Amino acid sequence: MKLASCGHEKEVRKLIASGQWPAASPPELRAHVSRCRACGDLVLVSEVFRQARAESVAAARPVSPALLMWRAQLRRRNTAVERLGRPLLGAQIFAFMVVAVAALCFLGFEARSGAEWLTLGYWRDGFAQLPQIAVLQWEKLSSGASVDAGWGGIVLASAFASLVLLGSVAVYLATDKS
Amino acid sequence: MAPIGKRMRMVWEFAWPGAPARLWPGGEHEAAGASVCDSSTENEVFAAFYARSSRPLWAYLARASADPALADDLMQESYVRFLCAAGAPSLTTDGEAAARLYLFRIGSNLLRDHWRRPRAASIEEIPEEFFASRGPEQQSDSQILLEPALRQMKPRERQLLWLAHAEGYSHREIAQVMGLGAASIRLLLFRARRKIAGLLRASGATNADRRIP
Repeated sequence: MKLASCGHEKEVRKLIASGQWPAASPPELRAHVSRCRACGDLVLVSEVFRQARAESVAAARPVSPALLMWRAQLRRRNTAVERLGRPLLGAQIFAFMVVAVAALCFLGFEARSGAEWLTLGYWRDGFAQLPQIAVLQWEKLSSGASVDAGWGGIVLASAFASLVLLGSVAVYLATDKS
Repeated sequence: MAPIGKRMRMVWEFAWPGAPARLWPGGEHEAAGASVCDSSTENEVFAAFYARSSRPLWAYLARASADPALADDLMQESYVRFLCAAGAPSLTTDGEAAARLYLFRIGSNLLRDHWRRPRAASIEEIPEEFFASRGPEQQSDSQILLEPALRQMKPRERQLLWLAHAEGYSHREIAQVMGLGAASIRLLLFRARRKIAGLLRASGATNADRRIP
């Protein structure tokens, strides 16, 4: 399609924009518009769209601006909280990775030195004997005698595991709250 | 008075857990009392801007999307994004015209995102107005003429025509709103205008023929 603009288009546009078309337009211009396709299109489309705009503007039912301000405030707040949470999550991932690497190093070191406790049989026997050992140790403890070193290790490991678990829960709750 | 972009940059004061969060506009060194005064004034400025711009924006979104319910949602989202945007023009320093252009641009982007999103609308999602067929006595001349013609236009053409002929924006302003090159607007608008003028004339002739007893 060839762009065939008309020299009178600007003048017609100006009159339409000021609401003076066709009342304040010279008769020559009106005669030109009736002949010129480009100007005729401009007048027709502008009149229809301006009327449609007036009707649509009257039909609009905007909500209260206070509601929008509140929603915007809420969104900004959520964005800020998300932004704050991002480095925290990074620190948590980093801490987890450090612990995982340390655990792997420890296990690797133990496996190299041929530790007995890394074999499946050691744990199977240990768990089978656990009730008897517990009763024995309890009797020793109640009679005032010192407990075995192996049993003390189990207690220590259990206490440490509980501490880690509780600590993780506390950290989770604290970060969730903030 | 702080610009509207700065106005929404909130600073959180420390609060004990359970205490309501207090949000002050402006910088952290700003006095609390002054902030409250500024905030109320700026809220009034925004409310006045909203009163003047919300209806034209809704009209644009409703006509371009041909869905009044969608226009409601997009209009609200446009204002929320306008208030949250760090780079939004200030009502006091940049002026209302710049803010309005920015708002229309947000609305245009939202419309474009909506059209790009592939989705199958279920029957429950379609607004009631879609099914309610209005009689000719309830329709204005512009609706009888314009709606069928607009339905045959492409979304981008509807946007271009509305911005140029209903809002009276210049080619440069339309280019800003639609994110297109200013040079291409003239040709696109010329083609769209010629197309819709033909449709309107055909529609007008058809309606005139129907009126003949």
